Amino acid sequence: MKRAVRLLHAGRLRPLPALALVLTLVAGGFAAWAGQDWYRAAHDEQAEYAAQRDAALSAGEQAVQNLNTLDHRELKRGLDLWESSTTGELHEQLASGRDEFTAQVKEAKTVSTARVLSGAVTELDDRAGRARVLVALRVTVEAADGAKSDKDSRMLGELTRTDGRWKLSALGQAPVGGTSTG
Amino acid sequence: MSTTRHHINRQRRRQARETRPAAPAGHPERTPVRTAGRGTTAVLSPGDTVTADPPAAEEEKPTPSRSRRPPVLLLLCALTVLLGGFAGWAHAEAEGLRSEPERSNTALTDLARTSEIKGQVAKAVDRLFSYDHADPGALDEAAKDLLTGKAVDQHHDLLADVRARADEQKAVITTTVTESAVERIDGDRARVLVYADQSSVATGGKKSKEGEEAAQDEGVYAAAMLAVDVVHRDGRWLVSALDTFGR
Repeated sequence: MKRAVRLLHAGRLRPLPALALVLTLVAGGFAAWAGQDWYRAAHDEQAEYAAQRDAALSAGEQAVQNLNTLDHRELKRGLDLWESSTTGELHEQLASGRDEFTAQVKEAKTVSTARVLSGAVTELDDRAGRARVLVALRVTVEAADGAKSDKDSRMLGELTRTDGRWKLSALGQAPVGGTSTG
Repeated sequence: MSTTRHHINRQRRRQARETRPAAPAGHPERTPVRTAGRGTTAVLSPGDTVTADPPAAEEEKPTPSRSRRPPVLLLLCALTVLLGGFAGWAHAEAEGLRSEPERSNTALTDLARTSEIKGQVAKAVDRLFSYDHADPGALDEAAKDLLTGKAVDQHHDLLADVRARADEQKAVITTTVTESAVERIDGDRARVLVYADQSSVATGGKKSKEGEEAAQDEGVYAAAMLAVDVVHRDGRWLVSALDTFGR
């Protein structure tokens, strides 16, 4: 009887710290696992790539829309937007043709409004900072007499990342039947 | 006198024996000494110190450890809570990062799947939008083969006019996908943007229907763009919806 009590007494003292230690170790194991899981999630290369893809696409869609939107009453603002949406060769083309274009649009008195129907990235080189996008566009042109006409455009754009921002470096329409329509 | 002494000795011996089983756990090095001292009565007198010791030690031991053990226990508990808390928090962070919409979209990040989808969609669109008046069954077969859900009706509506006109003109309509890009892949669902050229060659019948003046022997090309929703089923990608952007 006495013996049993003593054993119990001795047994009670030992398992408690042991249990606590086991629990701590288990918690430590979980913490280590969760920690490295979190680290991996935060430094996932695929996620980084996906983020670049989405950044390129949204910048591309916006730039394509910008370049197909122009109001003859707000030419300066519109054309400034064109230039800020582009880079490289396309940017130079737009800048050099600006005066001529301004005169044309002022004469035609048109208002073009573009809406992106859909867009997707076809290629993405996130190291080189280059991407290719398809943007399905619907452009509504309002002529001087108020007549409106819709036209769908199958745009192909090339984007270049400059200073961390994606900008259009080339833009054209997908050729039809092997010949380009513009 | 001798009885009392004998009784005391017996009691002491019993006490010594009783403390033994508990001893190994705490002080294993002491046990062999005591075992050696057993049997010989002469050792009983030095054994006195041993037998007298345990109760003293029992009382002595907890005193320093009682002041030491709770902090250790407390420390372990605190550490457990801290580590457990961190584990939970880090797990939540990781899950939060993973559930970001850009990550669930594996277009381009999963290159193999992306090109598989592009390839199958291009083939499907080629078949679904091509029509030969001489072989009308091919289109029905393609529809049965490649379409699912509401795409069945959408395709039927889209092609009804084309079909009727092609039959009338004895035309062959050929659709070729020129560009395509995967917008989104979310598990077994995906959406693809497709640019296609549609050529129609009339081989006879009434010519010069609206917009097809040139469709005599030369093919006329029409530019088409559409978004195609696909679902993965039985190892294949089936078209589940067609979006021609309201055209």
